Amino acid sequence: MKAMTWSDRLWTALFVLLAGFALLLLVAPSLVVIAISFEPRAYISFPPSGFSLKWYQSLLQNRQLTDSIWVSLTISVYVALIGLVLGVPAAFAAVRGTFPGKASLNAFLLSPQMMPGMVIGIASLFFGAYFAFRASNAMLVAALSVFCLPFVIRITMARLAGLDPRLDEASANLGAGKLETFARVTLPQLGPALLAAGAFTFIEAFDNVTVALFTSDVRGRPLPVELYYLVQNDSTPAIAAISAIEIGLSFLVMLVVARTVGLERLGR
Amino acid sequence: MTAAAISPGRRPGRLVRRMLHGGGFWPALPAVLFLIVFLVLPMLTLLAFGFVTIDRGRIVGDSFTLQPLWAALNDTLVWRLTWRSFYVAVISTVMTLLLAYPVAYLYSQTKGIWRTLMLVAVISPLLTSALVRAYAWLVILGGRRGIVNHTLIQLGVIDEPLRILNTDYAVIIGMTQIHLPFMILPLLAVLAERDRRLEEASFNLGASRAETFFKVVVPMSVPAIFAGLALVFAISYTNFIVPQLLGGGNYATLAVQVYEQTVVVLDWTRGAVLAAILLSSSFAFVFLIVWVGSRINRWSEARA
Repeated sequence: MKAMTWSDRLWTALFVLLAGFALLLLVAPSLVVIAISFEPRAYISFPPSGFSLKWYQSLLQNRQLTDSIWVSLTISVYVALIGLVLGVPAAFAAVRGTFPGKASLNAFLLSPQMMPGMVIGIASLFFGAYFAFRASNAMLVAALSVFCLPFVIRITMARLAGLDPRLDEASANLGAGKLETFARVTLPQLGPALLAAGAFTFIEAFDNVTVALFTSDVRGRPLPVELYYLVQNDSTPAIAAISAIEIGLSFLVMLVVARTVGLERLGR
Repeated sequence: MTAAAISPGRRPGRLVRRMLHGGGFWPALPAVLFLIVFLVLPMLTLLAFGFVTIDRGRIVGDSFTLQPLWAALNDTLVWRLTWRSFYVAVISTVMTLLLAYPVAYLYSQTKGIWRTLMLVAVISPLLTSALVRAYAWLVILGGRRGIVNHTLIQLGVIDEPLRILNTDYAVIIGMTQIHLPFMILPLLAVLAERDRRLEEASFNLGASRAETFFKVVVPMSVPAIFAGLALVFAISYTNFIVPQLLGGGNYATLAVQVYEQTVVVLDWTRGAVLAAILLSSSFAFVFLIVWVGSRINRWSEARA
């Protein structure tokens, strides 16, 4: 390789500088939030003036917050389950299927990802109102399932496309029925992808505010909606504490994804 | 198309065979039905609500009207808000590209632990709620106590706190950071797996690194660049959380206005009309970006 010219050095320096700045920008907010969650005083300062866990303790005493965490956990479990139950077979048809109009089916299945969360939220709100349902967390589960379905389908499709269909054929040739083949040959190979898809959907549903603001129950609000109103009116370190917990949760999900399908997969 | 697969009366023999072969449409049926009920019908309701009179969630019979749409299109406020949504989205999208490309390129040039760490840095914000990150920016950019102002005052760079929060700057900074992973990931996938023989050939022919980068690497990633631009533009243009939290109470974009009309003011007709305008204009811009991208890609392939 040739020696670097002056302009090469300049470009390289600029690139490394920009990349470093971008990486700092990516991680700094989370680190700041974690740091200020340990603030002992009643207002935010950075670096924190000391170390205390009192804001974490205060969360436990805040009934409204603990209730909303529970609501969000329940909603996310439902959304992840619905996503898997609907999404995995759909991904099957989208990858293995041989029927006319397959491309349109795929486009339709992935179409929710073209919709901003807000539009899905408002549409669900109006749809529910039209049929005289009030905004409720059941409606939120339905709306979030629509919003998250493409994640499950894409992750499962990517894994399915990498499987060897001959294994299924071999199983069929050896006399196994369709369901048996699916349960004993295909599913074990899909396992990691399903875990990743479930974890990813769970965290998306747990974090979602754009859909939830429109369709969630007025009583029994999910955590992101509760937080949204809190952030608008207040800036106590308690918000930082709950945010730090959310960041920890996201790391857990990342670990699951990294161990199962690999982090690089998420980009595709 | 799919009708043949789902109506058993038509070609029973083929349907049964398909089901046995596992290549059929039917596994997707539950998802398709679910999307029809919970996406298509709600979207139709949303559109319909823009063109009728609504009273307590009920359509007043036979009241089709174009008046709300006409009123919105003649409202200079709507145009001003659309313009702000547009320029804020454009500036922050361009900034994400400028920051994302070096990260994706550097990622493709590194190995081992650094590579993993970079990936973690890119993905972890993606899994952290946008709300949490908007809150972080509130703390960082906030008034006198905000980290930026506090540090600058301590260092003696400024005497008075800078007014960043509640301006376009805060909104653009917040959006850029929050949407950065969406730009990095498509670039990263393409750059990490690219065929490096072309670059070697370019070096061997005497081109400098910079020349090789701009004439070989960048053209190769044009589809990924435009995929990222389209995605980030769409999510920036329709984001209402960041403008609301970092822009402050008096700051509005088209998306913020949609939120306020439907949730605060409860004027659902206007909310529906504005949501339809937001969605259709977003689609129009995205198609434009994709179209320009495919033109540039064809042009650069033709040159190669």
